[in-house]
Amino acid sequence: MAEPALAVESLEVRYGGVPAVRGLDLQIERGEFVGLIGPNGAGKSTTLLAIMGVVPPSAGDVRLFGRSLRDKRPEDVSRAGVALVPEGRHVFGGLSVEENLRLGLAGRRGRDGVGADFERIYELFPAVRESLHRSAGALSGGQQQQLAIARALLARPDVLLLDEPSLGLAPTVVESVFSVLKEIREQGVTILLVEQRAEVTIRAADRTHVLANGALRLSLAPGDADDTERLAAAYLS
Amino acid sequence: MTRRRLEALLEFLGPAALLVLVALAGSLTSAAREIEFRNALVSAAIVIALYVFVGNSGVISFGHMSFVAVGAFLSGILTIEGQSKQFVLPGLFPFLKHATIGSWPSLALAAAVGGVYAFAVGLPLMRLSGLPAGIATFAVLGITYNVLRNWTRIGPGPLTLSLVPETTTVWTAAGGAVIVTGAAFLYQRSPAGRMLRATREDAGAARASGIDVYRQRLLAFTLSGALCGFAGGLLVHLLGSITTDQVYLELTFLTLAMLVIGGSGSLLGATVGGLLISGLNSFLGDAENGVQIGFRLKLPSGTSLVVLGAFMALVLILRPSGLTGGRELRLPRRRPPSATATSEGQALGHGSGGHV
Amino acid sequence: MNTAQALIDAVAFGAVYAVVAVGIGLVFGVMRLINFAYGELITAGGFTLWWLRNQPAPVAILACFAVVIALSLLMERLAFRPLRSASAATMLVATFAVSFLLQSIYLLIFGPRGNPVSTLAGLQTAVSLGKLHIRWITFVSLGTGLVLLLGTALVLERTTIGLHMRAAAADFRTSRLLGVRANRVIAFAFLISGFLAAAVSVLLTVEDQLVTPNYGVSVTILALVGVVVGGLDRLWTATLGGFAIGFANSFLSDELQGSRVYLPSVVFGAVILVLLLRPGGLFAGRRPPVERM
Repeated sequence: MAEPALAVESLEVRYGGVPAVRGLDLQIERGEFVGLIGPNGAGKSTTLLAIMGVVPPSAGDVRLFGRSLRDKRPEDVSRAGVALVPEGRHVFGGLSVEENLRLGLAGRRGRDGVGADFERIYELFPAVRESLHRSAGALSGGQQQQLAIARALLARPDVLLLDEPSLGLAPTVVESVFSVLKEIREQGVTILLVEQRAEVTIRAADRTHVLANGALRLSLAPGDADDTERLAAAYLS
Repeated sequence: MTRRRLEALLEFLGPAALLVLVALAGSLTSAAREIEFRNALVSAAIVIALYVFVGNSGVISFGHMSFVAVGAFLSGILTIEGQSKQFVLPGLFPFLKHATIGSWPSLALAAAVGGVYAFAVGLPLMRLSGLPAGIATFAVLGITYNVLRNWTRIGPGPLTLSLVPETTTVWTAAGGAVIVTGAAFLYQRSPAGRMLRATREDAGAARASGIDVYRQRLLAFTLSGALCGFAGGLLVHLLGSITTDQVYLELTFLTLAMLVIGGSGSLLGATVGGLLISGLNSFLGDAENGVQIGFRLKLPSGTSLVVLGAFMALVLILRPSGLTGGRELRLPRRRPPSATATSEGQALGHGSGGHV
Repeated sequence: MNTAQALIDAVAFGAVYAVVAVGIGLVFGVMRLINFAYGELITAGGFTLWWLRNQPAPVAILACFAVVIALSLLMERLAFRPLRSASAATMLVATFAVSFLLQSIYLLIFGPRGNPVSTLAGLQTAVSLGKLHIRWITFVSLGTGLVLLLGTALVLERTTIGLHMRAAAADFRTSRLLGVRANRVIAFAFLISGFLAAAVSVLLTVEDQLVTPNYGVSVTILALVGVVVGGLDRLWTATLGGFAIGFANSFLSDELQGSRVYLPSVVFGAVILVLLLRPGGLFAGRRPPVERM
């Protein structure tokens, strides 16, 4: 049996004495698009940061195709094939769009196929191609979000993590971002999406889990998108 | 006495006891060694005075040796015997040239002038934080050095100020250090001290809760300056002489290092840092001449400084929060702590008395 | 002395200080560390030149670069790497401790009296241009300074590692998330920084031939003041600040020959004034500076 692309096992993360994530178990198979929703402070961002090695887990493990990522430095996790599009995008405002993209190459495992990947990026994100030489700080929120995803993709990751990409974006822009995610998924990238906007996520993902108070509460399929009662119950439990 | 009261008192008694112990040890050794103990006590006094500002505010000052310098020179000049003074320092202002006072009054005056100078400097400078504050206070040090070195109306200029009566005995030094410790203790327990410590953790949050950051920093800076002046007076009466180079760069770095290595967040840290590094310095110096510590240790000449430097660097690398971790002396816990107590303690981190 | 001459000398001086500022600024950018021990690298360079004083100049200079760069990388690996997550105050004092340690080692090995360096002594001869007598070292300092500054800028702007360094200076955490290797970027910063220090030591020893254990201290302190006054947040403002203070120091000390006794106080007073009016630095923009400490 093939190892899951990403396996989170009994993950526990504490800030000082306060637990942010408690005993989280999550398995994502290759090519799946999984959503993680929940109220503020539920531990969603912390989970992603723990996977990337930015925050050390106090217990549990994270495995990428069976290999443990625990205690690896962020740059090594990135080079192992996991890319994170961080909350708030964090594009380098003082650098040009092109330089931002080139930075994404740092996480790549091989130097071949760079040109082809750039072409694919330009197809997926025409706004990025048009503003190549502009300073990234001059882009709009939606454009910066596209840049952040493009940058992450240039590392040719096996697993793409996204932390609240819809934050601060207008609904139409959110739609376009999500359609891009679906296209990326078609190309074989495994996606773990952390989001606040429940409905959009549930519709787009193969399955969505609700995280509240550091633990998984509920699992939802795209068909449950209209089941507001169940959703509310999950958030409030 | 309640447990809290006891712990509060321990914050003062711990350092004070250390100082007294050192004085005791010093009074029992040979005359040659005794000066090292006096040295350690005066160093501790300077570091504690420095701590009153740096430790409580979290702002680094490179200028505090200006106040030590002013205190040392003023107090030294005023205690030199009249006739020799007229001969050796003819250019002095009349009130400096003709006045001769006792050592203790001169210390009080040194403290006063140190405080006034610090206040004057602090008025503009306490608006600054972080690196700009560091560089600005460094500039003050530079100005003090430059002026003291050239203005022969207020001092000997580039020459050594000598003939100062050596009135700092080991118990005087201890007494002076305890006075400085007491002042530091009273300040950090006062509402003003607590408010300043709050700004150390998070200046923005403190400001939002109504604390006037500028005012509290100015207060601590002034007090710290006064105590530094006082310590300068102790210093000059220990050495019997003083030059501008002795209260300039090297002393600045040494005292800051002593503070950080001891643990800059606590009074205990300042005391330990000052006594320990000074003691180590003396010990290593002796080791170059050969010491008996169970076996005979003789360091090759010149290596004492290297060992000292290596020790300081190592402590910082291995224990960045200092030897005391910025914590004060605590009573041992009577019962095993519950899970919540530990996590709270972890979350609160270091600080004095558990209140921040 | 001739004002034009003083100006030219001051510009050359400023160029050297600008290079020191870049050395300090690069490391600060990636590590948020003010390396007070930078001066010890310059001193090490000076002593290496003295040690090999009987060798031909190219050999001595090459060795100087090798020693200083090695020392710079060693400093990072042994002393500063373990301290990466410590408070700013601790890091600063640690650099003092390293500086103190190195100075005492120099004292032990080379003794307290100055050791004279004569490696490029020929550059002290002057060339006459009309009424001006300009020493060769002035031209060389200026030229070398410019080349080094441009070279560093090119590395930063045109190479991948330079891109990684600029990203790390802007946002270290996100850079690592993208795969930028922290250790490599920092080591590279120390490498360039060391290279620049070596060059500075070669230039300085032509003018100031006596190398003592605290040879590099005053240069570093002054450059540091310049860097903070110029603006620590960006490399170019730091460089300008370094240049400004080197220039001012040299020019004023030439022009105010008579009353120079209180010159330091005047300069320091100006520094305080600048910091009070513009704490983020003289050349910094409207953006409020990020609180470092």
